[in-house]
Amino acid sequence: MAFKDLREFIDKLEAEGELVRIKQEVDWNLEAGAIIRKCEETMDGPAPLFEKFKGYPEGYRLLGDPFSSGIKKFAIAAGLPLNMSHQDTYRALMDLWDEGLANMIKPRIVSTGPCKENILKGDEVNLYKLPALMLHDGDGGRYIGSLHTTVAKDPDSDWVNWGCYRQMIHNKNHLGGFVAPAQDMASIFGKFEVENKPMPFATAIGTDPIITAVSVSALPFGVSEADVAGGIRKEPIDLVKCETNDLYVPATAEVVLEGHVLPNVRMDEGPFGEYTGYRASPRAPRIVYRIDCITYRNDPILTAVVEGIPITTSHSACAITWAAGIRKALRDEGLPIIDVNIEPQAGLFIAVISTKTPYPGIAHRIASVAWGCKSGQFVPKLMVVDDDISPYNMNEVIHAFGSKCHPVRGTHTVPYAAGNPLIPYQNLEERLWAKGCRVLYDCTWPVDWPREIAVPPRSAFNSIYPKAIQEKVLANWKNYGFKK
Amino acid sequence: MATEYETFVTTLADLKDGEEMELLIRDLENYESRKVKAIVSSSKEKLPDGDTLWIRFSRGLQHKDTWVIKITGELPLPFA
Repeated sequence: MAFKDLREFIDKLEAEGELVRIKQEVDWNLEAGAIIRKCEETMDGPAPLFEKFKGYPEGYRLLGDPFSSGIKKFAIAAGLPLNMSHQDTYRALMDLWDEGLANMIKPRIVSTGPCKENILKGDEVNLYKLPALMLHDGDGGRYIGSLHTTVAKDPDSDWVNWGCYRQMIHNKNHLGGFVAPAQDMASIFGKFEVENKPMPFATAIGTDPIITAVSVSALPFGVSEADVAGGIRKEPIDLVKCETNDLYVPATAEVVLEGHVLPNVRMDEGPFGEYTGYRASPRAPRIVYRIDCITYRNDPILTAVVEGIPITTSHSACAITWAAGIRKALRDEGLPIIDVNIEPQAGLFIAVISTKTPYPGIAHRIASVAWGCKSGQFVPKLMVVDDDISPYNMNEVIHAFGSKCHPVRGTHTVPYAAGNPLIPYQNLEERLWAKGCRVLYDCTWPVDWPREIAVPPRSAFNSIYPKAIQEKVLANWKNYGFKK
Repeated sequence: MATEYETFVTTLADLKDGEEMELLIRDLENYESRKVKAIVSSSKEKLPDGDTLWIRFSRGLQHKDTWVIKITGELPLPFA
């Protein structure tokens, strides 16, 4: 049974010990951001729910990074059992993703919803009425959008894109934002801008957790996130029409910002401490959103992520959904892969893929497909390992990388590729133009090595001893004096 | 009325010390953006009736010294 809104999810997090209500008054200016960041860096801590902000009325609340610290909160969001292993939880979440994509359910249009409890239009529009946070010291401004769903519709089709694109407050009715050139909203907005038309948009903040997850993901071009969210939830999302444009938003959203992205207008936005763990991209002229209307629930709950070093919602959500997307693309090509893991701690820069190796060069084929699919476009480093290595076991992965990847023959660089301006190790020119590069680390044994004489046997308990000895040792383990 | 402002620069040379110039600033109460015409100075003595101007570089690092700003006019923002 899916959560109907963010509030039900909050109740469940609290029941599972994964939420702390902060009743003490907190400053929206850096203090709340620092608390969320600290939570994100604890790796296994609860999410903070701020209940009183300095300068704001009682009831104006904010949930800090609900999916930080690994995948337990994702398992809660998806209704999975919480006693599964890390690896099995990841696999189950990826399977759910596949199922949602294979069994999409169109949204249901409803006439109204809780998000319409308060409506501000015209001169009443004032973004400062909401406790948007100054997330990091030195950010370009207060970010009301760091974990949300921005809705835009392709003018040439029925495709409606949901994405999470950061949104900074310029003044009471304008936002600025960053959209990478390869992201969907950039291509949609480009169609409006070339005709000098404003692009209608809506930003829904504080939705049920599946909506949040799909909005952060990378779905194939033309696939509507709302349909996939319905497929994952196994029931349709209720959508309600905006007040001032023809878009539809989740009816139970806490806050909805309606407006237009202005054509051929740019204003300095950022900098912003990003998911890469650094503020790599400078303040620069970027798109401007004009807000025509704000609707919100009584006692609204904003949401915020304080991007930075792992693990934030962006890391966990993208790790799961990008890995699922890569896995699907590889399986669709008939490649004999076993598992795909994007470890959130690596900041989404590294994917590990385990595979059988029926023919030479298969790692290159895997890399071509992975980088060619949308989910893999922003993962610059691939490690391909043999099928006896679990991509989820970082001890095994790092050992395979150290022991099996030849520094010359196993390392394959792609010096020119579409990139991402947020990547810290790129030089200024590469960041400016989003020029990328990639590397494949082939950690598989070469297929053309004779098994008997060239491939070194793995010296591990489960491979270097006869089965009978392994079983005897395990059966007697406590008899030897070991406690576990 | 805020008496402390902040602006972003690529290098300090972007600021014309002692001269009137156009620049984008933000107040430090609400972080609201304004485009203004203003005289800026690295020395409080040269602009004694000016307000404090904090300076940040394009990736958010704050310059160790504050400057002074005297706003002489409001300019429309790019979206106005």
